Amino acid sequence: MDYIPPTRRLRVLNAIIAVLIGVLVVRLWQIQVLQGARYLQQSEENRVRDYTITAPRGVIYDRRGRPLVSSRPSFTVAVLPLELRRKEEVLANLSAILDLPVEEILSRIAANRERPFEPVRVRRDVGPRVVTMIEENRLDLPGVIILAEPVRHYLYRSLAAHALGYVTEINEAELAARRDQGYKSGDLIGKAGVERAYESVLRGVDGRLRMEVDALGRPLREIARVPAIPGRSIVLTLDLDLQRAASEGLRASGQKSGAVVAIDPRTGGILVMESMPGYDPNLFATGISAGDWQRLTTDRLRPMLSRAISASFEPGSVFKIVTATAALEEGMVTRSSTFYAPGYFRLGAWVFRDLRAWGTVSFIQGIQHSINVVFYTLGYRLGGETLAAQAKRMGLGQLTGIELSGEVAGTIPSPSTKQALVGEAWYPGDSVNMSIGQGAVTVTPLQVARMMASIANNGTLLRPHLLRHIIERDHTRTPVGPAVQREGLYRAQTLAVLQEGLLAAAERGTGRASAVRGLTIAGKTGSAENPRGKPHAWFAGYAPVEAPRVVVVAFVEHGFRGGLSAAPIVRRVLEAAFPPPPQPSPEASP
Amino acid sequence: MNPRALRYLDWVLVVSTLCLIIGGAVILYSATRTFSHPWAFIRIRAVHALAGTLLLVVFAAVDYRTLARAWRPLLVITLLLLAGVDVLGRTAQGAQRWIPLGPFSFQPSELAKLLLIVTLATHLDGHREITSWRQIVPLLAHAGIPIFLIVQQPDLGTAMVVAAIFTAMLFAAGAPLRAMAGLGAAAAAAAPLLWQMLHDYQRKRLIVFIDPGIDPQGAGYALIQSKIAVGSGQLFGKGLLQGTQNLLHFIPEQHTDFIFTVVGEELGFLGAIVMLTLFALWLWRAGTIATQAKDRLGMLMSVGVVTMIAFHLFVNVGMTVGLMPITGIPLPFISHGGSALVVMLAACGLLINVGIRRKKILF
Repeated sequence: MDYIPPTRRLRVLNAIIAVLIGVLVVRLWQIQVLQGARYLQQSEENRVRDYTITAPRGVIYDRRGRPLVSSRPSFTVAVLPLELRRKEEVLANLSAILDLPVEEILSRIAANRERPFEPVRVRRDVGPRVVTMIEENRLDLPGVIILAEPVRHYLYRSLAAHALGYVTEINEAELAARRDQGYKSGDLIGKAGVERAYESVLRGVDGRLRMEVDALGRPLREIARVPAIPGRSIVLTLDLDLQRAASEGLRASGQKSGAVVAIDPRTGGILVMESMPGYDPNLFATGISAGDWQRLTTDRLRPMLSRAISASFEPGSVFKIVTATAALEEGMVTRSSTFYAPGYFRLGAWVFRDLRAWGTVSFIQGIQHSINVVFYTLGYRLGGETLAAQAKRMGLGQLTGIELSGEVAGTIPSPSTKQALVGEAWYPGDSVNMSIGQGAVTVTPLQVARMMASIANNGTLLRPHLLRHIIERDHTRTPVGPAVQREGLYRAQTLAVLQEGLLAAAERGTGRASAVRGLTIAGKTGSAENPRGKPHAWFAGYAPVEAPRVVVVAFVEHGFRGGLSAAPIVRRVLEAAFPPPPQPSPEASP
Repeated sequence: MNPRALRYLDWVLVVSTLCLIIGGAVILYSATRTFSHPWAFIRIRAVHALAGTLLLVVFAAVDYRTLARAWRPLLVITLLLLAGVDVLGRTAQGAQRWIPLGPFSFQPSELAKLLLIVTLATHLDGHREITSWRQIVPLLAHAGIPIFLIVQQPDLGTAMVVAAIFTAMLFAAGAPLRAMAGLGAAAAAAAPLLWQMLHDYQRKRLIVFIDPGIDPQGAGYALIQSKIAVGSGQLFGKGLLQGTQNLLHFIPEQHTDFIFTVVGEELGFLGAIVMLTLFALWLWRAGTIATQAKDRLGMLMSVGVVTMIAFHLFVNVGMTVGLMPITGIPLPFISHGGSALVVMLAACGLLINVGIRRKKILF
């Protein structure tokens, strides 16, 4: 054979192979040695996953330590955006399991774009069926995780909802403002009521859990754990029994809306704060559905509105307490002053009517029977400016300073403000109207309760509050003392006459329906005409007269007559506050 | 086999092959030990290695010139096997590449590579010079029809290997450079046509090769994760059995196409260099056999085998470090997969065959 090997061409082939191996070596040097540290870090990030351990919020107790709001364990379905492989397919599966539109999930992911490492909560508080389905289809749902998270639980649903408030997921504006306080997207935050007012107390500090995970994101092994610090619990001044009685009383009134406020006149602690209609804060805790939200916000009766503090109403005859006080303080009347009440009060061409002709009556009888002509006379003589000043001294038309947000001040008109606001002169008739709480006067039930408390406690205006004490993490208590706003409001004679008059009204006069056996009650009814319908019904009272411990104000919107619809509510609350002493049972006696 | 054959046996080639297979088995164990039956892979590997060694002896013992005389039936068998895949083929990951064979299944495209080396070498050896189109066109058909059938499976990687083998053998057979340049130009012109033939997932792989960031959780995932695995090994590696990317299954196909990531991650740059050195030794010895072959036929067969191993090595390692697009071709002697190992060992047999029958004048 005359075979000559193609040496040059074989050398070329060998050289090409040598170059290719050289290229591999250079490339390996580049990524392993030069960039190795960066890739090592990436492989570490791959391998470990940090989970948030959500800290439970503090429990909210009533004054006797009964839980009103607690946290219960629940499961939340979340997705890790960075691990969503086969996104369309996974989201379609998840959407089917949760019965939630894909767009909804996508919009939640989009809202969390800035923090792609944090889980995006898709649905809170899912049932065991959903958890099982997700665990069983784990391989078809890469990037979908189940978080064990506490969910807020309002034990008595709508009871005291406006006082307790609710929590929702933090929104973008709140997040921007509070990022330095450790808030992150998906966190819950108090939006109203006590939940909002004591957010910083109730909120705990989330823990971290660092796990080693596999490529499907399945946790394999715990690497490190920083435990969550639960939020501090708080004890409120609210009394569950009284609150329930108030709620039942409101419902029994047969009307659609109203409010009850009860406070302890010795401290200003709020015992009852109930507003009707209410809403169930549990709806918010798990993420309110669009339908429920729509229903709550478009309801004509505005169930989210706290009628105790966030809306003001014409006080009607309850305002006569202000007129009486002003007259007593001015020395215009004494206990024994008499009035002639023919059933009307004539002022020039105008005639102000009364329910009936009473003949000659004493000042005490005037309060007892709520005789309009008595107060017309006093109001006319006192004048608008004096009446307004007295109302403000007694805290009407002013914010009470309660911890809750959304409080409104109401209005106390006066000659000077009428000129300024309406551009009309104040007529003497305005003073006459104002004397019985008509005209432009509006107040909140809480203001009326604070005013009544100042009479019950002999002249101290207290800041109404809901917090009794905070239970610190070491179980010590941080108490909240009474907050005195104004002292020595009334002269001793004034107080004596007022208290006698209010006692007479509750026992023998317009407020008889509030009577509780064995209990002395003082109080005043109100029936406030208003441009929107039937008169509002009021009753403001306190008991026991000898040493007042409870002030109750009941307000029924369009409840017609205070003595008819508001006083029975007060009775119910007082019955709950002062239960009859237990009778010895016949069987127990020998 | 006579004693002279043993004297002419290239021991460096044999020992480097042995080292690659044993070292590869260790890597394979590391890659599969978190699977439900970790030792199953090693047992299967042992069976395949034994079967491959048997075939190696057969391919080394029967004189390659005898083998070459049977090139026509061999070519027919090759074409039938490749066509048969479409009919009998078992589907794995969207591609039909396997033919069931009792308890085993077997990948005809792997065997086709070896048989085509034999038949193409014989065909090329039949022409002293390759100058006229009358010679070139049948050669093109000889390589082109199997390539077309392999692309149909679809197995783009193997088709590329066969094309590379054909090109290198054509070059070694002394084809004029002008003709080769013409073929290259024709191939480039046909590229858009080939693009049309590709499956969506194959196109995606090529696109993410250019920019892996396009789809980090989808098509780009394997590339990104394999670079992380290799890169994180740094100089000395994380230690055998210590690779987190491997252990936690961040790499898809970590025991087959992406097994080099385990080498890179656990044994580091130094481990990779040891492996590349073993391959370099192997290729150096194989190249020497090609140079020292006593005839054109032996030389062409050796060039075919060398090209096959070198191409596999470069494309496989290259894809794990982002130098080459992702194609499913195994790392010789190391990746899990019986057909490939058996065929690689048979190819070694062919090399040894040429080596022990080389010219005596070298002594």
